[in-house]
Amino acid sequence: MSPNPSVSAPPVQSSRARWTTRVIGITAVVATALTVWLGLWVTPPDQVQGNLVRLVYIHPGVAWVALYLAFGLAAVSSLLYLWPRTRSLFWDRLAAASVEVGVVFNICTLISGSIWGKPTWGVWWAWDARLTSTAVLLVLFLGYLALRRVPAEPEVRAKRSAFVALFAAVDIPIVHFSVLWWKTLHQGATVLNANLSPTIHGSMAWTLLLGFLALTLVFVWMLLVRFRIGVLEDWLGTGELDVALRERQAEGAPIDEDEAA
Amino acid sequence: MGYVQAGYTIVLSLLFLYGVALVWRRRRLTRAVERVVAADAPEPGGPTVDGR
Repeated sequence: MSPNPSVSAPPVQSSRARWTTRVIGITAVVATALTVWLGLWVTPPDQVQGNLVRLVYIHPGVAWVALYLAFGLAAVSSLLYLWPRTRSLFWDRLAAASVEVGVVFNICTLISGSIWGKPTWGVWWAWDARLTSTAVLLVLFLGYLALRRVPAEPEVRAKRSAFVALFAAVDIPIVHFSVLWWKTLHQGATVLNANLSPTIHGSMAWTLLLGFLALTLVFVWMLLVRFRIGVLEDWLGTGELDVALRERQAEGAPIDEDEAA
Repeated sequence: MGYVQAGYTIVLSLLFLYGVALVWRRRRLTRAVERVVAADAPEPGGPTVDGR
């Protein structure tokens, strides 16, 4: 039995790469725990929002990761795949990993925003420009992930996925500028505003920045692990069925063709 | 404070569960690769792949 012919050597991960991933993971956990401690117990309540301000230490962080880091990286990687001089399945794997992690963070963004919105606006959801464009972004990238599951040659899948990622990425600036272009319930940017002058100070500002850092580290760790999964999947075969068949073949178990079909 | 606790619990739980799923998937695939490599390797002193 031979592995996927496109990658002949077994995908061995160096001990340095494993060590780096582990260190980033541990740092991410510590930074997140510190953010939760500062956010829930150390920082004072806000004069206007009261204790609800504590949700601000995680909500913009998950939104930052989903919109700018994950989906932004997916768009850049897709562009690099489509560019003939840089075309490599590396960029396709990076885009796929980034989108999957980004979708999880996008769901977290919508949930945390909704929980903040209920006591603040009186409703769980409003068809506001920022909220709607963020939900549309989630649907677009869920479509990207669904498209990747359609059986195809790796190059065909990579090309069509890259086009869809770039199409979906058009929504990123719409989400960002929606609070300026339309009259929305959602507040304007606190840190990345037009004057680049943060409207939050003291321990609140530091906790907010630590939240950004912690969630960025969580994203990097998840991206590294998900990318490794992509490498292993490509070596074993393209789908879950291929992986299951190879596992059974390697164990020496007879394969029931009807079951496999 | 109930909304705040709910927000932190749901977001952190989702991220934790996804992280656990990622580690589980990586471990499962790594073992599958190891099994395939072991099955492909010729036994010491035994017949080689081409039968000689």
